[in-house]
Amino acid sequence: MADNPATMREAAGEVRQSAYGAAQLVAAMPRLVLEARRVAASVYHGVHGRRRAGPGENFWQYRRFVGGEPATRVDWRRSARDDLLFVREREWEAAHTVWIWPDCSPSMVFMSKDATATKRDRALVLAFALGELLVRGGERVGIPGILRPTASRAVIERMADTIVHFAGSPPSLPPAFAPGPRDEIVLLGDFWSPTTEVTATLARLGANGAGGHIVQIVDPAEETFPYSGRIEFEEPEGAGSITVGRAEAWAADYIQRVALHRSAIRAEARRLGWSFAIHRTSRPASEILLSLHARMSASLDALPKAQPAAQNAVEAAL
Amino acid sequence: MIAGLPLAFTSPLILLGLLALPVLWWLLRLIPPRPRRIAFPPTRILFEIEPKEETPSRTPWWLTALRLLLAALIIIAAAGPIWNPPAAGSLPGGPIALIVDSGWTAAAQWDERIASAEAIASRAEAEGRGIAVLATGAPPKEVSLQRPGEARDALRLLAPAPHTPDRNDILLPLTRLLRTVPDASVIWLSDGVDLGDGGKFVAALNQIAPGRVTVVTGGIEGPRAITAADNAAASLTVKVLRADPSAPATGIVRARDLRGLSLGDAEFSFTGTETETEARFDLPVEIRNDIARLEIVGERSAGAVELLDKRWRRRTVGLVSGATADTAQPLLAPTYYLSRALGPFADVRLAEGTAPTTAIERFIDQRLPVIVLSDVGNIVGPARERLVRWIEDGGVLVRFAGPRLAAADDDLVPVKLRRGGRVLGGSLSWDQPQKLGSFAAEGPFRDLKVPDDVLVQRQVLAEPDGLLMERTWASLADGTPLVTAVPRERGLVVLFHVTADTAWSNLPISGSFVEMLRRIIALAGSGAVATEKTGVEEHGPAPTIAPSRLLDGFGAFTAPGPTARPIPADFSGRAVADHPPGFYGPPEGLVAVNALAADDRLKPLDLGPLGGRVEPYSRGEPLDLRAGFLSGAFTLLALDTLIIFLLAGGLARLARRHAAAALVFFIAIAAAGDHAHAQEMTQAQLDFALQASLQTRLAYVRTGDTEVDELSHAGLEGLSVFLAQRTALEPAEPMAVDIARDELSFFPMLYWPIVPAATVPNAETLARVDAYMKQGGTILFDTRDAYSGIPGRTNEVTPGLAKLREILAALDIPELEPVPRDHVLTKSFYLLRDFPGRYAGGTLWVEALPTAPEEQEARPARAGDGVSQIMITSNDLAGAWAVGGDGQPLLPLVPGDPRQREFAFRTGVNIVMYVLTGNYKADQVHIPALLERLGQ
Repeated sequence: MADNPATMREAAGEVRQSAYGAAQLVAAMPRLVLEARRVAASVYHGVHGRRRAGPGENFWQYRRFVGGEPATRVDWRRSARDDLLFVREREWEAAHTVWIWPDCSPSMVFMSKDATATKRDRALVLAFALGELLVRGGERVGIPGILRPTASRAVIERMADTIVHFAGSPPSLPPAFAPGPRDEIVLLGDFWSPTTEVTATLARLGANGAGGHIVQIVDPAEETFPYSGRIEFEEPEGAGSITVGRAEAWAADYIQRVALHRSAIRAEARRLGWSFAIHRTSRPASEILLSLHARMSASLDALPKAQPAAQNAVEAAL
Repeated sequence: MIAGLPLAFTSPLILLGLLALPVLWWLLRLIPPRPRRIAFPPTRILFEIEPKEETPSRTPWWLTALRLLLAALIIIAAAGPIWNPPAAGSLPGGPIALIVDSGWTAAAQWDERIASAEAIASRAEAEGRGIAVLATGAPPKEVSLQRPGEARDALRLLAPAPHTPDRNDILLPLTRLLRTVPDASVIWLSDGVDLGDGGKFVAALNQIAPGRVTVVTGGIEGPRAITAADNAAASLTVKVLRADPSAPATGIVRARDLRGLSLGDAEFSFTGTETETEARFDLPVEIRNDIARLEIVGERSAGAVELLDKRWRRRTVGLVSGATADTAQPLLAPTYYLSRALGPFADVRLAEGTAPTTAIERFIDQRLPVIVLSDVGNIVGPARERLVRWIEDGGVLVRFAGPRLAAADDDLVPVKLRRGGRVLGGSLSWDQPQKLGSFAAEGPFRDLKVPDDVLVQRQVLAEPDGLLMERTWASLADGTPLVTAVPRERGLVVLFHVTADTAWSNLPISGSFVEMLRRIIALAGSGAVATEKTGVEEHGPAPTIAPSRLLDGFGAFTAPGPTARPIPADFSGRAVADHPPGFYGPPEGLVAVNALAADDRLKPLDLGPLGGRVEPYSRGEPLDLRAGFLSGAFTLLALDTLIIFLLAGGLARLARRHAAAALVFFIAIAAAGDHAHAQEMTQAQLDFALQASLQTRLAYVRTGDTEVDELSHAGLEGLSVFLAQRTALEPAEPMAVDIARDELSFFPMLYWPIVPAATVPNAETLARVDAYMKQGGTILFDTRDAYSGIPGRTNEVTPGLAKLREILAALDIPELEPVPRDHVLTKSFYLLRDFPGRYAGGTLWVEALPTAPEEQEARPARAGDGVSQIMITSNDLAGAWAVGGDGQPLLPLVPGDPRQREFAFRTGVNIVMYVLTGNYKADQVHIPALLERLGQ
């Protein structure tokens, strides 16, 4: 394959193209990080007072010593106050892990005149902002395949760093990985891959019971199909092109197909118990972030192990 | 060559490519424009959609038309279009025989014709072909091939002939030439006019060089000519001719006298395709008689000039009848017959109701050239003496016999008449009326046909003597004289031996009578009679008249060349090579020969039988249009590209990506430009202000006339040097000031030379000037023309003064006066009495001082409140101050007094000091008194 000069040229072109894309991405990153912080801050203030799990090694409760337990567990200080032996229990320290996957494939670099940002920018902003919020909320955040879950305060920087340094062309669907059964997965992408591929990927991710949220980030033009005349539509990821004589005649069929595609994804999501939301790049990022965060908080709170005391929540907020 | 258009193609066959345009149309319609490409992420969804039924996309018709036009332009450009193609643009190889029509018919557009000929020669030079030039107007000679350069020189030297050459004269040399170079092609630069030789020449040419002849004709204005001037009773008419309607249809015929002064104009116009029209001069007969030359204005050819000699002069004839009772039966009176006979060519004045002697005296007073006495007997008293003197001064006296003459004893007759009773009885009654026998060969009637219908019943008889035959102009069949004449000094006495009425003969009612009178009257006038006399006395077969002023081919008078030969006295008809048109004979007896005879008509040349190529003359330089067509094609190409770009949504793409950037860019550019502009303006003004104000400078107004401006600069520079040498003022280099734009307030004084040709500054500028003067500035106007005015005559208005008045009219100028003797200007530095410049005659005017108060004692110097706003001189001060780089004066002085330049400089110093110090100097004159008062 390598001895075919055409292929080599193609490969070289791709390398150049991706290098250019990467450079663009790097250039955009500081702006995206800042925007993500801004968006996150607004949402954070918006959900003030949320109850949350306390972090780390804090006291949780005393319970009566049960026979057969190792004596070292006895909290002698407490036990000395009366005749009973108490065991000091600490809170369960393992944080919840949320996998955030922003789609950075070339198809996301699309912006029509109605949109305010490209889809990729929006996906990254959402990913960073969500990561920041979640880390502040005590969760661990990771990016499937490239970033292991972390609770670092500088989560945004780390996310940005790994995305920028990710070698290879980013896929348009999340890579196959094995999330823990209690993990949550947030998928931010356009999901314009064929319906079957999308549903198969979702099914695989949700196979071992992880929760999930699917946010389809679309450009308004992708929904309304505002084209007319003779147009050659080209798939940005090299899946081919199609020449349409009178684009306006295709609009109705296209919109129908899109609806069909979405309903298939939505059905799969419902089957897995995941949520499915659509975000249009003509809308502000905070909107979807707010609803996404609220939904996630609800789902995180619903977990049995995360029953924080109210005062802990206040503490952490401070 | 496209008919009617001076457009030709070097390779016309390429134009066949235009036939391919319909195919191109079809192809272009079929191939649609490229679709817009849009990167669209959900394209894979589109893959699943059933393809729609689509009509094939078509290129818009206007785009196709645009492309077809583009293709057509390229095809036309490839065919090599040439505007104003050179004459005989493409010829087969081989040498060229160039026939140039060079008669007067070619003269009017001679330059164009020679330019075409030179173009042909140049082309022949480029192609290395020999060329032989045959000019029809030149004397026939052998021709041979020349190098084109020589031929071109020969062509430049060629001048049109003033006569109408016979083209057939060159047939012989042409035939010989073509025999030596059989492959020569013939180019005939024709004037398109046939004056009788055309048909034969065309036929002969066709025979000599069949199919190798290219005729260059048309394309330029055809010739016009005038002929057949007729000085009729009411007006002078002349026929204007043209060969074809290509000649301008309207024009003016101008009449000039012998000295070339214009006497009058007459318009003419051809309607439609007319080739003949008439111009009419309605002028008084005295002026008409002075006309010596008629010409078509703007038509430079000998044919457009008609020369008139005495034959066209309309004489005023005084008619005196011996019988006062003639008027009783006016239609039978001799005066009536004479009036009718003289009417066509002369104006007749009748002596009515007065005695013959009174009438004769009155006619002599009126300076009539001809007096006709019809049966007047003896003329007595002073009238007779005056009449004799009048004849000797050149008058023509024509007498008719009659009962009174027969009875008279008068010697104012050419021959001795039989007198006494025998004469009385000698008025014989013929059995057989006699017919007119013959006209004398030497007399003026020599070319008349002897009429056979004239019958003479009675006559007065002459005494037969030796002189009788000589003096007889016409005689009857039996040899007795009918008309006799004798010259007396410069005059002439003619006697008709019959009456002027039909009583003695029917001559007065015959056509010959008119002709005879016409010829006699034509003799009237100074000199003609003398010529006639020599003709009579010489007995030569054909007296000749030498040429005096001849016309060249362009219709201008020239001195006679060596080839011009004298004409016979009876020369008539068209001018020929030996006798070019012009005036012949002595100044007092000019005979005109014209290029065209009265009945000549210009006919267009019939080139039909020739069957050769016919091309028009080129008018102006040939212009290669390929560049124009190609740039048009490239413009269309660029347009097409732009349209494709726009059709494919390029604009939207462009707008999306770059609109903002472009907008910002343009705004930035605009802002920067604006900013820079403003900056530049202020910078220039700042520089000017700094330059003008950091040092004191003299300044002059830039007039726009480079010479004057340079002189002003040199003059002020000279004055600056002088000031630095002599005074405490050291001015820097003088500056030029644009009165309309520059700030004036930096300068104490402006030197403003007046250029008569300059335009008056506009109102806004004059307002600035006014403000400058009002705010304390002084303007020194210099009309620089004192040399043209006579010293002392100040009321004369020179052009410069007129221009100055025009400028000052818009300004608020105070009352002016010549510098009075006690003005401070005379004392501001040097003591001066007058203020010379290059000229010493002009006066320096300043603002008038208020009159000195009576009560004050006369002060040695006066000054007004400030400095005079305005000073006006005409002495060209800068001209006197102007020094060159070597310190030497640039211009001489008038009148050139050695001290004049020194005084001119002193004038300048005084003016500058006056301007700078104002009335301070007026106060300075009191210093001695003040010092004295201080006790020094």
